[in-house]
Amino acid sequence: MRATSRREFMRAASGATVGMASWLALGKAPAFAQKRELTFLSWNHFVPASDDELRKQAEAFGKLANCEVRVDTIAHLQLPAKRAAEAQSQSGHDLMLTGSADPFLFEHNLADVGDLIGELGKQYGGWYPFAKESCETASGWKAIPWFWISFPATYNETHFMKAGLQTPKTWAELLHHGKILKKQGNPVGIAISHCADANSTFWSILWCYGGKVLEADGKTPAITSDRTAQVIEWYKELYRDAMEPEVLSWDDASNNRCILAGKCSWIHNPISPYNLALAKKMPIVDEINHHNSPGGPAGIHSAPPINSVAIWKFSKNVQLAKDFLKFLFQKENYDAWIVASNAFNHPPLKNLADHPIWARNPKFAMLPKEAEYAHERGWPAKPSAAIQLVQVNYVLPDMVAKAVNGMPTKRAMAWAEDQIKLAVQGKLREAGA
Amino acid sequence: MAVGSRVLEAAGLARPGRLARLREWWEQEHVFGYGLILPALLLIVCLVAYPFGMSVYFSLSDYWVGSPGRFVGLGNFRNIIGNEIFQRTVYNSFVFTSIAVAFKTVLGIWLAMLLFRNFRFKRLIRGAVLLPWVIPTALSTLAWWWMFDSLYSVVNWTAIHLGIMSPPGPNWLGMTNYAMTAVIAVNVWRGLPFFAIIVLAGLVSIPREYYEAAQVDGAGSWGRFRHVTLPLLRPVLAVVILFSTIFTFADFNIVRVLTRGGPVNTTHLFATLAYQVGLDGGNLGQGAAISLFLFPMLAAIVFVQLRYIRRE
Repeated sequence: MRATSRREFMRAASGATVGMASWLALGKAPAFAQKRELTFLSWNHFVPASDDELRKQAEAFGKLANCEVRVDTIAHLQLPAKRAAEAQSQSGHDLMLTGSADPFLFEHNLADVGDLIGELGKQYGGWYPFAKESCETASGWKAIPWFWISFPATYNETHFMKAGLQTPKTWAELLHHGKILKKQGNPVGIAISHCADANSTFWSILWCYGGKVLEADGKTPAITSDRTAQVIEWYKELYRDAMEPEVLSWDDASNNRCILAGKCSWIHNPISPYNLALAKKMPIVDEINHHNSPGGPAGIHSAPPINSVAIWKFSKNVQLAKDFLKFLFQKENYDAWIVASNAFNHPPLKNLADHPIWARNPKFAMLPKEAEYAHERGWPAKPSAAIQLVQVNYVLPDMVAKAVNGMPTKRAMAWAEDQIKLAVQGKLREAGA
Repeated sequence: MAVGSRVLEAAGLARPGRLARLREWWEQEHVFGYGLILPALLLIVCLVAYPFGMSVYFSLSDYWVGSPGRFVGLGNFRNIIGNEIFQRTVYNSFVFTSIAVAFKTVLGIWLAMLLFRNFRFKRLIRGAVLLPWVIPTALSTLAWWWMFDSLYSVVNWTAIHLGIMSPPGPNWLGMTNYAMTAVIAVNVWRGLPFFAIIVLAGLVSIPREYYEAAQVDGAGSWGRFRHVTLPLLRPVLAVVILFSTIFTFADFNIVRVLTRGGPVNTTHLFATLAYQVGLDGGNLGQGAAISLFLFPMLAAIVFVQLRYIRRE
């Protein structure tokens, strides 16, 4: 009998370990089929029908390309750890849902998809500007923008009508309206707390006033500025005269509850409260409407969640994975997927955004336009580990919270600048290098 | 005693086979003893020593998710100590632990004394008291989180209707002191049964004669508590307080669910901050360094308390 060499043993053992791990993680046995297998790790979509449609299309592609396509979905909070584990072990899925700084953090582990970007862009009237910001790294395009989630203003029409007010076009107008609405018993609801919404809204307002967190070089803190000071002063006034202290304790669902309870008049959020009210047949659904995210002296900007798909460099099916993505982006497929998600999934390609599902519903009609204002967090700097640390440590909402609780604006900014410096410093060298 | 092969040969018996010799070797006291410890040792090495070693290694490197780290010495620790959020976390941890453990001790003894009495449904109620400790913390904390919710707080609603608070009542999870109060309250609620049941066990083991003797000497109920119960409970108390301090210091679930460290990091504990930086933020090196700060502190507490117990 031939003895097993150490290398063979290691390969078999690591294969078995990874196999066991994914088996345990996904609760089903790995399939060692003869057919080629393409695997895709995604999240459990907030609208489950969207995942059903994705699986249907995966099956259709499998038939066309004579391969097996497996779509695994896990809770979105588990994705970062899983992604890290696959990068570490250099094995796992072929395709993977990515977002925020991921294409940059894993830059050297991801396959170049520039060719596909060029092809799809040409086919569908070009990518929105945010595509470049969120997926093009120094070493090329490392992910395909897949869909973004609009983050417009959601407001209560009845409250606005009662106060005789039009919807605000700027954040300054919102402050003006908010004071009147609060007196009426219907405050504005913008979270200043440890939650994702608090980050999203702050970035939007900061950009609208022309502020930034880091210079474009990604290293120099730029938070201390008159513009940031203006934003903090705006928040202070809004907090005092147009909101209630509860916003300091909010999580991501609190503003939804506040508007659905008929208390809040205006919130900054994806369209989920409206969809929930519609699904649960709540009477308040008729009073809820949306308008575009407000602007400021530096124009309109917003920070919606942007999701992309990347292909691992270690994948043995890079070309097949690209073909699969192309298949998902075929107009009829992408359209069916938008419908399945009930208008939640927004296309990053201009011509795909013409879908009637938005035009038909007056409460959705303005949503696709939001794509023009969208940026990835960190802009004008590229997304980075430092920005991610600023995000997860809630440095920006905390700076505002300190100020509304009485800390002088200058000191609050200095505190944030310290934190940003530490985040940049903590990143002692380029990720993945 | 095992019989050696020479003795067998001398007695004219056949040499034992391989299996028998293996058994003989195995049944020697020093081999068998270690053999029995081995599984436990393996578990400890795999599940405690290895992760601990890894986290020490991580804390000394700039290890980021997706990119293996370089050795950076104490760079992470220097970075952390200078950070205001971390300083605040150290302060929070001490406030949280000392207040929560103090409340748990006093209330735990009190509850144990109550449970020690004879009353109807004694067994049922003693069992029921354990409930908060048995329910998964993440679940029970969700219920608390809902009770402290800014819009639907049951606590405020009840207090307002009883006329104790003026509407809208405190913003529990949004104001520094209230949020800390809420987090401590939930921790006390959860940890109290552990205290009470162990102290109860201690109470049961105190011989009745001491109380009778004290009564004969004219001691009132306070005198009996002060001079009989408390001194005899001391060893039990020391052990429970030691355990509870460790659990409380390393708490994670309650803060993660209730406040996520907010408002403005005033309820962050070591574990929640380490999770946020290491796993949410991907900075495994710093995350490990933050969680390792727990180690010397807990070691110091354990050292002091164990010495005290030994002296008893």
